[in-house]
Parts: sequence; structure tokens; C-alpha cells
Amino acid sequence: MAATRALLAAISSSCARRIKIQSSTSSSSSSCSILQFQRRESIIIARSFSSDTNSSPDISRLAETARISLTSAEIKECEPKIRQVIDWFGQLQHVDVNSVEPAIRAEMEGGSLREDAPETFENRDSIRASIPSFDETYLKVPKVVNKE
Amino acid sequence: MSTTLLRTIQPNHFTLLGTALFRRNRTTTTSRHISVRCLGSQTASSQPRTAPKNHGSNKLDEILRDYEAVIGIETHVQLSTSTKAFCTCPNTYGSKPNTSICPVCMGLPGALPVLSSKVVDFGVRLGLALNCGLSLKSKFDRKQYFYPDLPKGYQISQFDVPIASGGYVDVDIPLEFGGGHRRFGITRVHMEEDAGKLLHSDTGDYSQVDLNRAGVPLLEIVSEPDMRSGIEAAEYGSEMQRIVRYLGVSNGNMQEGSLRCDVNISIRPIGQAQFGTKVEIKNLNAFSAMSRAIDYEITRQALLYNQGQADQIVTETRLWDEGAQKTVTMRKKEGLADYRYFPEPDLPEVILTQEYVDSIRASLPELPEAKRRRYEAMGLGIQDVLFLANDVSVAEYFDQVIGKGADVKSAANWLMSDIAAYLKNEELSISDVKLTPQELAELIAAIKDETISGKIGKQILFELLAKGGTVQGMIKEKDLVQITDPVEIEKMIMKVISESPKQLEQYRSGRTKLQGFFAGQVMKMSKGKANPALLNKILLEKLDAKE
Repeated sequence: MAATRALLAAISSSCARRIKIQSSTSSSSSSCSILQFQRRESIIIARSFSSDTNSSPDISRLAETARISLTSAEIKECEPKIRQVIDWFGQLQHVDVNSVEPAIRAEMEGGSLREDAPETFENRDSIRASIPSFDETYLKVPKVVNKE
Repeated sequence: MSTTLLRTIQPNHFTLLGTALFRRNRTTTTSRHISVRCLGSQTASSQPRTAPKNHGSNKLDEILRDYEAVIGIETHVQLSTSTKAFCTCPNTYGSKPNTSICPVCMGLPGALPVLSSKVVDFGVRLGLALNCGLSLKSKFDRKQYFYPDLPKGYQISQFDVPIASGGYVDVDIPLEFGGGHRRFGITRVHMEEDAGKLLHSDTGDYSQVDLNRAGVPLLEIVSEPDMRSGIEAAEYGSEMQRIVRYLGVSNGNMQEGSLRCDVNISIRPIGQAQFGTKVEIKNLNAFSAMSRAIDYEITRQALLYNQGQADQIVTETRLWDEGAQKTVTMRKKEGLADYRYFPEPDLPEVILTQEYVDSIRASLPELPEAKRRRYEAMGLGIQDVLFLANDVSVAEYFDQVIGKGADVKSAANWLMSDIAAYLKNEELSISDVKLTPQELAELIAAIKDETISGKIGKQILFELLAKGGTVQGMIKEKDLVQITDPVEIEKMIMKVISESPKQLEQYRSGRTKLQGFFAGQVMKMSKGKANPALLNKILLEKLDAKE
């Protein structure tokens, strides 16, 4: 059940068809209660897909945010395929999870933390050597005007 | 070393690079200058936080009669851990660029993050210090955007389940701004990693990136929009700095970039329930700048309202121009950014046990608020309280001195006046000083029981601060014991009087101020050791008796 939520969250994050709550809170200074938010989100994710069957994913926007260039032909081609993937996951809608406590993320093994002991990576030279635009001290990058 | 490569940023030359650019600074004043600033508040002259002494502050008062400012602050605290958040690269300030790197923080394929236990520890510590509720289970999320200083193309942060939330902080507004207590809410505290540093190049067609800072652990503190003025905001910021220093989770240097504050401000006509349009202000390098930036922005927004142009206020990020003393547009936000948050698949849940939390709570030091209330209860005035509790080392020193039994008020006075002045002159911090708390207590006691006079006390204080040593030792060595034997004092007085017949006559004929002359002569003769009170009493008797 927890896996369901995580998968849905992953898809919904990259899916251009925004679930209202997810897209509206970009900065962390939203003043709505965070824990309430999380409950709401997990419930609404389950509902909104089934009600939202008619709108298509905005593939061009999706490609833009992922910095992938697509021609309009490619966009046309992608759309139904992405649609299919989402619908295939959509089968999970039919599972009754009303009596299940929402998990905050998919279960994962471990959870062991690391000690705060510094270690220098021995092969920093090869890291720097593999950067095409490295000029002795800094990485040279194009001047970027706006953060996304 | 990297500072020599830094280009000075001209105030009028605002390139629209990321705000990371503006975190680098020319000056490298260190933390002790922050505590010295508090001294400035004792004297009238060097007061960085007062509004300019012109019609400016009156104008602001007028505005605040019609409008209410609603201010919230986002603070990023760089943690003083030995390693980065998710890899074992050393976390040290000032290393040669791009030397503290590894596949994890560079975002190279296949590398996986591993969280440091210290980051969780510091997060819990700060959350508790801010009276927050802790999420015993929290998680990390990816905040995705593309920028040259972000190697992975996403920042590991906490989005919807932060480690701490729902807290508050209590502050005292300094007397010169009206005094009083305030409580400001804390919405949340969460863990995240820092991005690298972006540098501006001279020619302007490319930039440079140093990734030493990428992956350094941060705690982000988001306040409730509870502040209503620049003063309140500055005090909130100062308290954040005080708290992280008291806890030892960060050195809280705004100049170094280990404490960064961004202000969100809107105004609304008084009585209106709806909030106005929010503007973000960045590039604040000092709390005084924060205060002035807020005052400026309130004035700017109010002016637009008054001119019926409130719609000109848009959601945007503005930068504080320290040179021109105004905020300028950086970029207009084209809709809200879409960070496509999703749970970080490479990191497990952060799980806290109640025992773990309790053990950290038990190990918290006395926090600034508790110290202030304790000092107040000891009978110290609020001015003294604010000074002593401002710097954790000074407070510790003070606590040790009174722990040795010294009189509270005297200890406070010595610290606030002579010792503070010495520290400022020599540019030292209290921990550098050679005078031990034990000896200061001795000094206070010696003056109290009149072994030495107050004046002599001040003299040997200077030597003790610089060279150390013991009070008793110095008294013996320099033969400083006060003369309190009336017979001896009388002898000296008679000698002085007999040696100065002319002054005596002048005194007798009405120039009573010459008493000071005689007193001075006796002091000289006694090498400053005569008890002043006794001296003057007997002197007066003798001068007036022969009349």
C-alpha cells in the first residue's frame, strides 16, 4: 500500500496534469499546516485520477521542465504512450485503502546513519579532469540569468 | 585563498545571476564584531540599528498609522558539522575551490547519498530549542530545478514532512526601540543541503562554479508572518543567531554566509483581513540591513498604495542595495516555480525514538531566553541582561564570576564597562582574555572589603586582562593596599596643608573648590592608596577647623 502511494507521488510529480495541492506549494513558507496537508494529499491523490480522465498530460510543458527537446511530432507520439502508462498505474485506484494508515514514503531497508567523520575522496583529480569546462580552479559555466 | 579571486560587486551593476552570487562578501568581520555591536548600543554614537536621524523615521510612523506590515523570515543555517550532509567530504570554510568534492556531492552517476547522524542531531536540537513539535518520522524529498551550482539537478530537502514544526521564539526588543517582549511563531524547521557557489566573471559572458559548498548541511527555519516592523525582524534574526551559537550547531556568521535571512514582506491597510501582495527581499548581510530594507520596502509599498497604484506591487524578489540603501527588482516571479517534489528514493525515513529526543532535550544548554529571565530575576536591569546574555561566552564568564560568590551588580558593571571596552579596543573576545573569572571575583571582593580602592582596582584590571596574574599577588607586589588608618591620613593631610600655605589662604578666603587640590596632593603623596572617602572627611575637618 505504501508502495502505491510512492509510485503515485512519483508520477504525479512529473505528470503535467497537476493535482492542485502539489503544484501550488512550491516555497516552503506556505502557511497551511504541513501535517494536514500531507493527509489531504494522500487522500486526494487516490481520488483525482479517476475524476480527471479527460484532460491530457501537457507533454510539451513536461519536456520543458525536464529539459528534453521534443519536436511536435514526437510530442504527438508520446502523448498516448504516457497516457497509457498513467492509466496502467491507475489500476491501483481500485484498491481499497481506506482502512490503511498512510505511509510517508515507500518502505526501504536500513536507515542507518553515517558518523560525522571526514574522509577526502582520493580520486578528485580524475573528477576534475573529466569536467570539460574545468579551468584550473573553477567550473566554467554559461551565464544563467534566471533560476527556474 | 578563494577570496582573492572574488570580484567586488559594484552596487549599481546588478547582473541577474542567482542569489548565490550575493552570498560572497568582501568583508570578513568575525563573530566577535557581532558582540561588540551590542556594546555600541550602550553609547549614543555607534548605533547601527537606529532609523536615520531625519524625517525618515517620522514618515514611517505616519505610514504605520494607516498600514500594517506583515513580515515573515526564512533563515538558512549552515551547520558546523565535520562532513557534508550526504557524503564524507570535509565541511570547512575557505578551502581551495573544488577540492572538497566526491562523486556523491558532484552528482556523478551511481553515487548514493548517506545521511550524517550529526545533521539529525542538530536538527532535533534546533527544533527543541525553538519549542517545536518533532516529527518522529520524517522523510527527504527532491526539489528539482536546473542551475549551474546544483550538480544533481535537484536539491535534497524536506517538503511536506519536516523534522520539526509548530514552534515559537521569545525575544526582548532592545530598550532604545521601545523594549518589551515578543513571541514569534516558527512554522517549521527542516534539513536540506546547500548548493555550490556561483561567481561572477569580469567579462560577463560566463560564470564560475565552486562546488565545495554543494552538499553542506543546512537547517531551514521558516517563521510565521508574525513580525510587524524592521526592528522586530532584526531582533528575530539576532535571536536565531544567538540560539544557533548557544547550541553550537552553527557559528551563525552572516558575513561568511553561515546564517542567511530572506525576508517576505507585504503591507495591508489597517483593519483589512486579507494579506497584501508579498515581496521577497534577498541579499541582506546584517541585521541592521534587514531592518533598513524593511523600512524602505514598507515606505515604497505604502507610497504605491497612497497613489492608488497598489497593483504595481507584484510578487517578486528584490535585492537590498546596501550602497543606495534601497531595494531593487531582481526578477519578477513568472508564476510559482514548479519544483516537482517527490520523495527521495535513495534515502530511508528519518526515524527518531522518544528516548533519543529526550536525551537531546536533557543535554540542551540554558538558552538565551532562559538566561535573560534568570538574570532579570537576579535583579539586573534589562539593559545589563540583554548585554550579558547576547554572547554565550560572555554569559558563561559572567556565570562563573558570580559562581565564585561575586556581587552580581558589580560583576555586571565590570563586564559591561571596562572589560567590554578593553575587548573592543584590542579586538579580542572574552575567551582570549587572561583575567580568569576567579580573579575578577577576587577583585570585586577586594574592592568591596576596601582592601583596595575602586580606582586602583581599575588600574590593576588592565594589567590582569593583558597579562593575567592574581589580584592578591598584584596587591602585594605593588603595595596597593588602601590606607584606611585615619591617623596616617591625617599626618599626610597636615603635611600637605603646611606645604601649601598659599592655597590654604585662598581656601579660607572662599575658594572652597581648592579642596580638590589638597585631596589630589594627598593622593599623590599616598600613591593613590588613601581611601578617598576618609581622606575628604578628615581634610574638610582640618581645612575648616583652623578657620
